[in-house]
Amino acid sequence: MVNGSGTQTGPLSGIRALELAEIWAGPFCGSLLADMGAEVIKVEAIQRIARGSIRPSPGTSGYPDSEPGERPWNRHANFNVLSRSKLGITLDLTTSDGADTFKELVNVSDVVFTNYAFGVMDKFGLGYEELRKVKPDIIALFTPGYGNTGPYRTFRSMGMVIDAITGHTALRGYPDMEISRNSLVHHPDAVAGATAVFSICLAIHNRARTGKGQFIDLSQAEAFMPHLGEVYLEHSLVGTPRSRRGNRHPGMAPHGTYPCVGDDEWVAVSVKSDEQWRDMCQAMEMPQLAHNPNFETLPARLQNQDELDLIISRWTRQLSKYQVANRLQEHGIAAGPVLDCGGDTYDDPHLQDRGYFQAVDHPDAGVHLLSGPIWRMHNRSEVRHEPAPGLGQHNEDVLGDLIGLSHSRMAELEATRVIGTIPLDGADMGGVRRARERGLSSSDS
Amino acid sequence: MPQVALDSVRVLELTNEIAGPYCAKMLADFGAEVIRVDPPAPVAQPYPDINDAERKARQLHLNTNRKSVTLDLELERGRDVLLDLALRCDVIVESMRPGMAEILGIGYETLSRSRPDIVMTSVTPFGQDGPYNQWSYTELTLFAMTGAMHREGLPNRYPLKYGGEIAQYFAGTTAAAVTMGTLAGVTLTGIGDWIDISILEAMAGHPHQIGRRAPFAYSGENDLRIEPRTSAAGGREPYAVGTFRCKDGYVSFLPLGPRMWPNIAQMIGQPELREDPRFITTQDRSDNRLELERIFQEWLEQHTRMEVFDAAHKAGIPGGPVLEALEAADNEHFKERDYFQSIEHPDHGMHSYTGLPFRLSDAPISSPSSAPLLGQHSREVLTGLLDISDDELALLVKGGVTSCG
Repeated sequence: MVNGSGTQTGPLSGIRALELAEIWAGPFCGSLLADMGAEVIKVEAIQRIARGSIRPSPGTSGYPDSEPGERPWNRHANFNVLSRSKLGITLDLTTSDGADTFKELVNVSDVVFTNYAFGVMDKFGLGYEELRKVKPDIIALFTPGYGNTGPYRTFRSMGMVIDAITGHTALRGYPDMEISRNSLVHHPDAVAGATAVFSICLAIHNRARTGKGQFIDLSQAEAFMPHLGEVYLEHSLVGTPRSRRGNRHPGMAPHGTYPCVGDDEWVAVSVKSDEQWRDMCQAMEMPQLAHNPNFETLPARLQNQDELDLIISRWTRQLSKYQVANRLQEHGIAAGPVLDCGGDTYDDPHLQDRGYFQAVDHPDAGVHLLSGPIWRMHNRSEVRHEPAPGLGQHNEDVLGDLIGLSHSRMAELEATRVIGTIPLDGADMGGVRRARERGLSSSDS
Repeated sequence: MPQVALDSVRVLELTNEIAGPYCAKMLADFGAEVIRVDPPAPVAQPYPDINDAERKARQLHLNTNRKSVTLDLELERGRDVLLDLALRCDVIVESMRPGMAEILGIGYETLSRSRPDIVMTSVTPFGQDGPYNQWSYTELTLFAMTGAMHREGLPNRYPLKYGGEIAQYFAGTTAAAVTMGTLAGVTLTGIGDWIDISILEAMAGHPHQIGRRAPFAYSGENDLRIEPRTSAAGGREPYAVGTFRCKDGYVSFLPLGPRMWPNIAQMIGQPELREDPRFITTQDRSDNRLELERIFQEWLEQHTRMEVFDAAHKAGIPGGPVLEALEAADNEHFKERDYFQSIEHPDHGMHSYTGLPFRLSDAPISSPSSAPLLGQHSREVLTGLLDISDDELALLVKGGVTSCG
C-alpha cells in the first residue's frame, strides 16, 4: 500500500498495527514490529505531541546541528529514532469525528497497542469492547504501568518509578553510597516494549489457529519483574535481600571496571576461575603474581579484592581500553572496553563489521548514521530503517487511500482540526486542553 | 476445551547462561513444550559453597515448565538422537558458541532442508559473525560495551553496571519476541528462519542507548555521567527528580516537566509556594533549586514510602516506593493481581516465583511446574517422541549417551 514501512519481506509483513503511544514502552514496541515488517501506523494529534518543544531556542541540542528549524517537531532526535519505519497520521480522538475515523482504521487493522494511562482509551470511547465491536478478531494491548486491574491501575508511572517498586533501584548504585545518589534508569519501559512485541506476536500466532483476537493486559512492572526473578528467589531461599554489589560479584574476582589511558576511559574485566587468574597474570606479564597466596584461590581473591584491584589498575592505566580487552580476550578472559554512546560505539570494529549502523535519510532532518536492527535473519534481506514520519505526514495515504475518505471529508477534518500537520499552541505542554486549563503557555518551557 | 496459548509449539533448547534460557522460558511459560538438553554429568563447581544460593535461584527461576533430557553430545549416538529430536521441533533456541550447532549436526542449513518452516534462534553475546564472535563475556563486560555503563554512576567515579543481569534478560526477551514474530510469520507464509541475536546489539539498541546516540548523531553531543538532580533533561524540575530518602526508606519521582510544578506544590501540601517569587518560573525554580530541594526533603522525612506514594498519586505525579526484592511480592497491588505464584520443587521446597509478564483474555495457561531434575524427561521424550524402544534406551543409558533422572 503505502511506502516507507520497512522491509516487505519481514515475518510480519501483511500485519497492520495502530500505535497510540508516547515515551518508550509503546514506541519501542512499534519499532520492533516495524523492523519485522509490520505496517505500523502511529496515531498522533496536533493537540498533543511528544516530539519536544514547539519552539525550542536556536542552538538547542538534539536537533540536527543544534538547529531546530521551521518544523522542530519533525527534527527531534529522540522522537525520530524511536519512530523509525512507521507511518504517521494525526487524529484528535477526543472528538467523535476523530474516534469514528479511528474505528474505520481498526476495521482494516490487526493490532491496536497503547501505553496511555489507564482509562484514556475508554475516555476516547475506544476501550477493548468498542474495538471488538468494530473488528471481532482485533488484538488489543493496553499497557499502563501497573496493568489494567488492581489498586494501582490508575497510578501514573514512568520507567524509573517501576524500577523502584520492582526492586531494581535498591540493587543499583555504589555500595558505599546512599541510593538517593543513584541515576535515573528507565529500563522497565524498554522491557515492557519488547515483551509487548512477544505478546502481540503470540496473539497473532494464536489467531491463525483459533480465529480469535485477544485483549492483552500488560503491566510494565510485571513484565520486568521476571528479569529480577532470581533475585526474589534468592531472597526467598536465604531469607535476606541481596545487598548492592556495584561492579563486584560474589563468585568472581577480579570483577570490575579499571581506568585506562585517557580521560574517563575504562575497561571491564571478569575472571571466572583460578585457572583464568593464572592466565591473567601471564597476560599482565606478572607471572610471579600467580603464586601470591593472597590471590591464588577465589576465596583469597574475594578477601583481598581492594588490593587486587589496585594491582590491576596499575597495569590497565598504561594501556588503552582496547589494548587491555584484546590482550585478555587472547587468553580467553572476559574483558570489554567501556564504550560511550557517542563516538565509541560508532568506532567499535565489531559493530562496524556487523553493519550495525545505518544511514537514514530523513526529509526534514537530513542524513544521519543511526543504530541499526538488533537481529539478523538468514532468509530475509537486512532490515533497513526508514525515516520517522513527520507529524501527519501520511494522512493522505492512510485516511485517503487506505480507508477512502474523500478530499472534501479530509478538508472538513482539517478545518475542524481533527487532522493536521502543525501542532497547536500548548500541544507540547501535555496537550492543548490541559495547557489552557492550567493557564500555561508554551513559553514556560 | 480451550487451547493453551502455545501448546502446538515444540521447542528444543540448547542454552547456557541467561539470555537463551530466558527466551526459552517465555515460550515455555506460555505453554510451549520446551525440551531442554543438557550433558548427563553436570559441570562440577570448583567452589560449590561460594555464591551457591544465587546459582540455585537462577536455575530454579529460569527452568520452569521445561522437560529435561540429557545427551552426551561428544558421542556420535548422542548427536544422532539430537538431530532426530531437532527435526521434530518447531523452534530451536540455542546459545552455543557460533559454529557449534553445525559441528553437532544441527546447523540451520541441515535442519531447514527437511523442515523449511523451522525457526532457529541463536542467542550469543556478540552474534554469529564479526571480530568478537568468539569472545568470552560476563554481564559486566558485555554491559560495558553497550553504551549503558559509561552513562551510569557519578562523574568523578568509575562507571557502574545496573543491578542484576539486566542486559542478558533484556536480550532474552528480545530474542523471544523475534522468535514469536517469526513463528507468527510461519503461520502466514510457511517459511521459517534463522535468527541471529547478539546480546550486545540488543542492549545497544535499547531506547536508552539509541536515545543517547541520536543527539550525538544529530548534533555531536555526548551524554556523560552527571550528578543527580542536576539534569535539565527528562523531568526538567530537577529538585524533584530521582530517588530521595523518606521516613522509612526511599522513594523515586519523575515529574513530567514544568507543567507539574503545581502538582508538586500540592503534593507536599504547600500550594502557596506557587505564589512565592523565588519559584514562579522554571528559571526561578532552577536558580533556587537547593532551597526547593530542602523544602521537598523536609516533607519527605515526615512521610513513609507508602504515604508518599499515595500523595504522589493524588497529585498526579509519577512517583513510587523503592522496594527490596520480596517486598514487591508482599505488595497489595501485585497480591490483588495474583501475580506471584507459589511453586513447589522436590529438592528446594515451596517458593514464590514471579508470574507471567502479561495476561491474555482468550488463551488459557496451564498451572506452572518447577524446574525439572536433570534427565527427568529423558525416558518420556526418547521413547515417546522418538520411538526409541525400552531396550534401546537401556543401551543408551549404559553407553552414557543419556541418563534418566
